[in-house]
Amino acid sequence: MSGEADWVPVALSASIEPGTSAGAVVEGLELVVWRDDAGKAHVWEDRCPHRGMRMSFGFVRGDHIACLYHGWSYDAAGQCRHIPAHPDLDVPKTIRITTYDAGEAGGMIWARLAGAAETGHPPPDFGNTLPVRSLYADCSLAHALAVLKQTYLPGGKGKTVVGQLQAVAPHVWTLEGDALRLSIAIQVIGPQNVGLHILVNEGSKETIADVAQWAVALRLTLEAPVVLAEVM
Amino acid sequence: MAALTLYAHALDENCYRVRLMLSFLGLAYDTVAIDMVPGEEEKGLAMRALNPLGSLPVLKDGDQVFSGAQAILVHLARRNDPAGTWLPLEPAAFAAVMQWTFFSATALSSAIEARRLALFSQERDFYALRREARHALRIMDDHMVLRHMKGFEWFETDGPTIADLSLLPSFALSRDYGIDHDEFPALRRWLRRFRLLPGFHTMPGIPDYH
Repeated sequence: MSGEADWVPVALSASIEPGTSAGAVVEGLELVVWRDDAGKAHVWEDRCPHRGMRMSFGFVRGDHIACLYHGWSYDAAGQCRHIPAHPDLDVPKTIRITTYDAGEAGGMIWARLAGAAETGHPPPDFGNTLPVRSLYADCSLAHALAVLKQTYLPGGKGKTVVGQLQAVAPHVWTLEGDALRLSIAIQVIGPQNVGLHILVNEGSKETIADVAQWAVALRLTLEAPVVLAEVM
Repeated sequence: MAALTLYAHALDENCYRVRLMLSFLGLAYDTVAIDMVPGEEEKGLAMRALNPLGSLPVLKDGDQVFSGAQAILVHLARRNDPAGTWLPLEPAAFAAVMQWTFFSATALSSAIEARRLALFSQERDFYALRREARHALRIMDDHMVLRHMKGFEWFETDGPTIADLSLLPSFALSRDYGIDHDEFPALRRWLRRFRLLPGFHTMPGIPDYH
């Protein structure tokens, strides 16, 4: 298995501004994705060890993130450094949050989650891309891929063409039409929930708004009741 | 005594809409705290005399009494914001702003009701409401994705209007009714910018720190 397989997409880089945090779920595992003031992205378990509060509700100060409940503040290594109720306490080393390797490539934030071997492979980079949007839909990965395989793409001048879907890296597919090339990194949130992080190749800047509109229609299709049973 | 009196409950999001508007406009006002939960004071005789519908918020401005958050926002903007920043009068912008302001009272009524049930009621059958609320939030997120692509940070025009104000609480408070912010990156961005407006303040359910 290639080392790249261990990297899973969790957000578009552009969606996590410096000094902010957001939640993300990968196969039921709750994560906080946050970016420190210097611009470095971090992906951790989304849980403060104190009271179990989600760290994604917390607030970033410099290269620390603090829990919204009681202000326990953690450094970039996940180590608790400050407890406001006990300002003089030398915080025990055991108070820390599970951190994961995080990387950015191709306009995406990636994480290497529990159980992944440290292979030294960087996250997949699929070239120069521009972010369109993250689209969240209530369907399985298999269903999303089946729909994408037979989906029409905006083809310019009112034309539409069926895109060619191709797996290019673990969790990453390209969908190509006439002039348009989309990269789609898929985050499996749960058995019936996926996040599609959609990017276009750099030459397609003028199509971004069309692709964003297309994505809204795609979500309707992905979530439409399946009329015919899928027969093997 | 100030000319303006707001009858409100601290945990009610429609009252929060009005309190935000008053704050953004820098208006002094008196608050009369109404025991909405559990007392249902807004449905009592004294409050029904002010507002026969028995709902909050109610705003008394001199001799006039207004109810319904959106109507109060429009009244406050027209009376106190002559530049029309919050409610532009140029016809196209006016209609667009009012479209989203009505959205906060129609499509988002599911969000408001889902939150009310989640916080204040023993009934657990709010899942249909929550689904509808999520659908409404998705429409808002889709809209803001496109707005951001065009270089704008607000729902209509190039600054905040009562459209933004009336829509924002249901998103900012969505965790109260079990919808997280994970799936709404464009609304997260919008909320962060809204929080920076001079006069912004939070209510219970919206973190002071972010």
